[in-house]
Amino acid sequence: MKSNKIFYLVLMLALYLSACHDQLELKPFQSIDDAQASANESNVKAILTGAYDALADGDVLGGNALRNAELQAGEGEILWVGTFFDPREIFNKTMQTANNDATQLWLDGFNTINSANNVLAALDVVAEKDRKTVGGEALFIRAITNFELIRFFGKPYVAGQPNAQLGIPLITTPTRGINDASKVSRSTVEQVYAAIIADLLKAETDLPQTNSWRASSLAASALLSRVYLQQGDYAKARDAASKVIASAKFTLLADYEDVFNRDANSSEDIFAIQLTDQDGVNNMNTFFSIPDFGGRDGDIEILDGHLNLYPAGDKRKDLFFDGNAAMRSGKWNNQFGNVGIIRLAEMYLIRAECNARLNTSTGATAVADYNRTRIRAGLAAATTVTVDQILLERRLELAHEGFRVHDLKRTKQKVGNFNFDADKLVFPIPFREIEANSNLQQNPGY
Amino acid sequence: MKQHLLTLALVLFGATLGLAQRTISGKVTAENGEPLIGASVVAKGSTAGASTDLDGSFSLTIPANATILEVSYTGFASTEVTIGTSNVIDVTLRESITQLSEAVVTGYGASQIKRTLTGNIAKLKGEEIQSLPVPSIEQGLQGRTAGVFVEATNGKPGGAIRVRVRGASSISASSQPLYVIDGIPITVTSQNQNGAPLNPLADLNFNDVESIEVLKDASAGAIYGARAANGVVLITTKKGKSGRTNLEFDVQRGVGQASGYREFLNSAQFIQYFTEAANNSDALDGVAQNDPDSWTTFVKRRFVRYSGYADYTKGEIETDWQDEAFRSANSTQASLSASGGNDRTRFFASAALSDQEGILVGNAFQRLSTRLNLTQKASERLSFGLNMALSRTYTNQVPDDNAFSTPLQLVALAPITPVRDQTGRLYDRPTTTYYNGLIDLEDARRDVISFRTLANASANYQIVKNLVLTGEVGADVYNVRDNLFASRRTFAGQGTNGTGNSLYGQVVNINTKAYLNYNGKISERQNLGFTAGTEFQRSRNDQTSVTGNEFPVDDLKTLASSAKITAGSSTVTEFSFLSYFGRINYDFDRKYLLTLSGRVDGSSRFGANNRFGFFPAASAGWVLSEEGFLENGPFSFLKLRGSYGLTGNAEIGNFQQLGLLGSAAYNAVSGLAPTQIANDNLQWEKTGQLDIGIDFAILNDRISGEIDYYNKNTYDLLLNVPVPGTTGFQTQTQNVGRVENRGFEFVLNGRILDGGFKWNTALNLAFNRNEVKELAPGQDIVDPGSARLMNVVRIGAPLGVFYGAEYAGVDPANGDALWYLNKPGEERKTTNDFNDAQYIELGSPQPTVIGGITNTFSFKGLELSVTFQGVGGNSIHNGGGEFMSANANWFDNQTTDQLAAWKKPGDITMVPQARLGYVNGNQSRSSRYLENGDYIRLRTAILSYQLPARTLEKLKLSKMRIYLTGQNLLKFTKYTGWDPEVTTDAFATNIVAGVDFYAAPQPRTVVLGATIGF
Repeated sequence: MKSNKIFYLVLMLALYLSACHDQLELKPFQSIDDAQASANESNVKAILTGAYDALADGDVLGGNALRNAELQAGEGEILWVGTFFDPREIFNKTMQTANNDATQLWLDGFNTINSANNVLAALDVVAEKDRKTVGGEALFIRAITNFELIRFFGKPYVAGQPNAQLGIPLITTPTRGINDASKVSRSTVEQVYAAIIADLLKAETDLPQTNSWRASSLAASALLSRVYLQQGDYAKARDAASKVIASAKFTLLADYEDVFNRDANSSEDIFAIQLTDQDGVNNMNTFFSIPDFGGRDGDIEILDGHLNLYPAGDKRKDLFFDGNAAMRSGKWNNQFGNVGIIRLAEMYLIRAECNARLNTSTGATAVADYNRTRIRAGLAAATTVTVDQILLERRLELAHEGFRVHDLKRTKQKVGNFNFDADKLVFPIPFREIEANSNLQQNPGY
Repeated sequence: MKQHLLTLALVLFGATLGLAQRTISGKVTAENGEPLIGASVVAKGSTAGASTDLDGSFSLTIPANATILEVSYTGFASTEVTIGTSNVIDVTLRESITQLSEAVVTGYGASQIKRTLTGNIAKLKGEEIQSLPVPSIEQGLQGRTAGVFVEATNGKPGGAIRVRVRGASSISASSQPLYVIDGIPITVTSQNQNGAPLNPLADLNFNDVESIEVLKDASAGAIYGARAANGVVLITTKKGKSGRTNLEFDVQRGVGQASGYREFLNSAQFIQYFTEAANNSDALDGVAQNDPDSWTTFVKRRFVRYSGYADYTKGEIETDWQDEAFRSANSTQASLSASGGNDRTRFFASAALSDQEGILVGNAFQRLSTRLNLTQKASERLSFGLNMALSRTYTNQVPDDNAFSTPLQLVALAPITPVRDQTGRLYDRPTTTYYNGLIDLEDARRDVISFRTLANASANYQIVKNLVLTGEVGADVYNVRDNLFASRRTFAGQGTNGTGNSLYGQVVNINTKAYLNYNGKISERQNLGFTAGTEFQRSRNDQTSVTGNEFPVDDLKTLASSAKITAGSSTVTEFSFLSYFGRINYDFDRKYLLTLSGRVDGSSRFGANNRFGFFPAASAGWVLSEEGFLENGPFSFLKLRGSYGLTGNAEIGNFQQLGLLGSAAYNAVSGLAPTQIANDNLQWEKTGQLDIGIDFAILNDRISGEIDYYNKNTYDLLLNVPVPGTTGFQTQTQNVGRVENRGFEFVLNGRILDGGFKWNTALNLAFNRNEVKELAPGQDIVDPGSARLMNVVRIGAPLGVFYGAEYAGVDPANGDALWYLNKPGEERKTTNDFNDAQYIELGSPQPTVIGGITNTFSFKGLELSVTFQGVGGNSIHNGGGEFMSANANWFDNQTTDQLAAWKKPGDITMVPQARLGYVNGNQSRSSRYLENGDYIRLRTAILSYQLPARTLEKLKLSKMRIYLTGQNLLKFTKYTGWDPEVTTDAFATNIVAGVDFYAAPQPRTVVLGATIGF
């Protein structure tokens, strides 16, 4: 009898524990369902923050997009000595289609665009008063990402031509599922630039003039100026730059040295990737700096070929230092410092260049703008200036900040032995992407 | 089983009353004189039978006309004894080599005599792997079970072990078998994060193991349903036997060394070779060697830099960095066990220590374990049991193979670099070429401590005769503490004044089941057994981690001293399974055998549309040797068997079916980002498996064996299908694709010499052909797109096939590396542009043949057991080749084979011209770095001496055995690297296998030990 009771007890216990189907309905703890995600305003705003986070990825504006632009045109000025094979391929212009840095730039770039598209598709749940700002920021993020991608994965934009060369796929809707429509083919370079400009013009209109560290109307204008310059549309580039300068929201810092290694934006920063010691990566630090400052082994050395460009007395040269048995750039020694993307000095230099090229003096004379950064660098003011002098000034002022290859391409100069529009100066469409999307055409030369 | 036989005997005993009878009594013993308890004694041709008692004695009333007694006992060869005039018959049984009469565990409290088994189950007895000097139980299976591929990823103790039963069948889901210890499906997900994943199975003291059964075919596996597709490994721990208490003490000490070395340039060669490389680059650039910007000038500056205090031109320094990475590794193991009991209570208790140093400096593994297995008979019908094991492991980890700080990457450093400066301080960059990993040894700690409790409580209740209800509650609680501290001098802690991380992971895995077991006769000639039940499992994984920087001094290593906590996180994830299972065994006259089994599984891991799955299997056998027409043939046993069934694989991560957003903070503002695309249709990966086999024995069971053909067709793969990156995602988990494994398995066991000098041999050989049949629609390749690794998934090729450019050697005219174009029409045309060469399949990481042979020679108490194990048909990709065998592309020290580089026009060589700073043939995805991976190795050799009974009696001992064991003593291979048994722990996945990347070789270990029984 006693045994029987135990038997029933065991049986009941087993059945109780076993017969709960709802035990199969488990919910994740660290994630939420995508249906809920765009259901309310605070979630959409959170996705916008996520889009900034994606943009700040080490492979995009967290550093590598800038580093790649320096590496690809490093001839005689910098030397890649790191062990990583993929950056060395970029440096040597011997990229394989599986080059991991190219692949990651592509993947993380489009991941950023998808986040931005998620925001843009859910704007109707955002209250009227914030809707334009939220939307404008997402447009800015999409535009700056497309701009990074088109400059690496497409042949250069050439002014006065149809620019029908293949660009990148233009993605404007968030991904909800995978189907044949997911296999988007490449738009032309012209179409991509047009889309970037359209996004930025709307962002410029919708965003407040300043917006703390976030994308602002003036940041959109500044980026527009850069895009127009890349297109060789000097008048529009000049006007957009002039608008930023005229707003008087930004000022040049007194000391060049103070511009860099900042934990927070300075008055010179128009847009920067924000790092904290808990979040984000500064890959410019990783590769340009040395272990003492949290960098790798000093993977990029600065050569005399660059240092000799500075005229005597140029304070900017003093920022270089000898570390780990080579000369290093001093701009990237804060492991947790922001990655500067657009700063006021660039606007002065764009306006100077455009005014000089167009023989105008919108906002200021070319030489006046040219002198601003030179005087800060401790050099004597010039009285006249040529386009070439402005380009050199730009090369010094903005050295190792991710401009080099793009400037060479837009000014149709040679990169080492390569013509500005050489096949090998364009990244391959990543191998994995060609495999996953049969509608993609590989770039010539790969 | 024994109890059932007893019951059976009693029933039959009653039935025979009233006929003419006589009573026979006697004793059943083993050859060593030990009584066999519970042996079955049956009068042939009658129903009379009995079981032996605690002394091995039996008493049996038999019909007067009975002439033969059949005596059988698990693990021993059945014997027939002619009944003479005497009423006392003593029987000595010989241990079975054929395993045919052994009981094989089939899961859920059931077991079956191998003779009547219709499925394919490989059994390994615990004693066969007792005291092996390896950290983890899977290594005991290596070379001892047919069709079970076992590979340690590298020679780090406690590291991951890859096990593939009948080939790899999964691409994105796990390919490891399901491990069940005493009924609990255990946790095998590692919890540590600061280094390569450790092996949670290393927590098990395998000296506690009674037997390991590997369920290989669908018939055997289907009762484990959705998780059986990769095979099931059932581990049963020891139980006490009633009788006197046996105490056993085992102790061993040993020492290990690296089982392989590579040869690197010495100082003179290094200087000469790199100078040559610099000169060549200058010639290519058209720059004079004495130009300050020339490579030659540059290389001289580097030599000065790398020489530290020394002058490289004087040849003062000759550092063998490989020597600095290795050490001779001591090991100690000791275990104490006690077992015994009476007719109501039986127990097995043990405590053990295993302390094994790794052959890499700073690497060590230690395990402390205890176990108590208890069964208590409460009444004639009711009994209880408790199995409980506690263990603690401590692993002093070294960084994974891809870290600069891992010891074996020291080989990249220059031989001209002194290890230490003149003050005795370890050199670091810029003097060393890369970070000096020895600094980690002095200034970093990576401790992983795990505590594990495995407990299973059970109650058995006999409802009616032969029908037993069992309820079980089991828990596997796995706690891991992973602490990292790296001082300000180390790679990780530099720039932040030290860094520390502390991670706590806990997996609580609760498992309950209730099932019925029946085993009886339907009629005189028909036997029936069945199992039916339900099981629930829920597993919850909690992880908490904190990272901090800025430590005041290097002596303060805990995060309490960190001035800046930079990261902190806690995560939880869960899964659950709810299942119903059943199995029926039927036989007619022990001649015609049939088994039906199946399971319905539901899991939280699958989409709303496919939450439950059904996995059935059927098998049949025909014992031909029982048929009259074969009675006088050569076969003492012959059975044909076949099975077909469906099993599943559910081992993907949790919540893969949902469309998800995860947190993505930016600038201290919380955010969300899409992380996963939904798939409501996600369901099990399915494997349909056909198995046809023959079990045979000849020469009165002296030679026995098994031959199996199988075809494992895995479809609806849980595949992380690459999607266009323009969607913002990289992959989606879908049920697409198909992989096939088919092959033959051969097992042969024989008593070759019998008598004073004995020679037994056990051979197993398995041939497997693995082929990916289908992928996602329109997809013919999954290429992770790495420039460093070349394992891909490609239709028509084995899983993980090496896919890259075919190296064509060196252009004799200019020293350029060449590849075959392999483009249609111009396959054999060569190119010096790597990107022009079409990738082709270059080799497979999966062996097509695996096997092992154990020969045991014994004479009196002396025994020598020798196990050879080998694999064949696979290739190994030396992923480190692009750095270490790269004709001085950069400053990594080079292997000496690079000295054969091209030097002048007309040179015929496979090593391209050395060119510093230039890529000349060192692209990793090239057959230049692929080698034949076949090997045969003398895995284990054990020489032992067991003291004879007379001496033991004098010493008042029941057992004394002294043994000398050698592990990995010899290896035969063409592979030129450290060890052909390799898959680096830094990159190992289902797809990435057979890759060598600074992976430590297996240790060559010799231990001396003794076992003493009281």
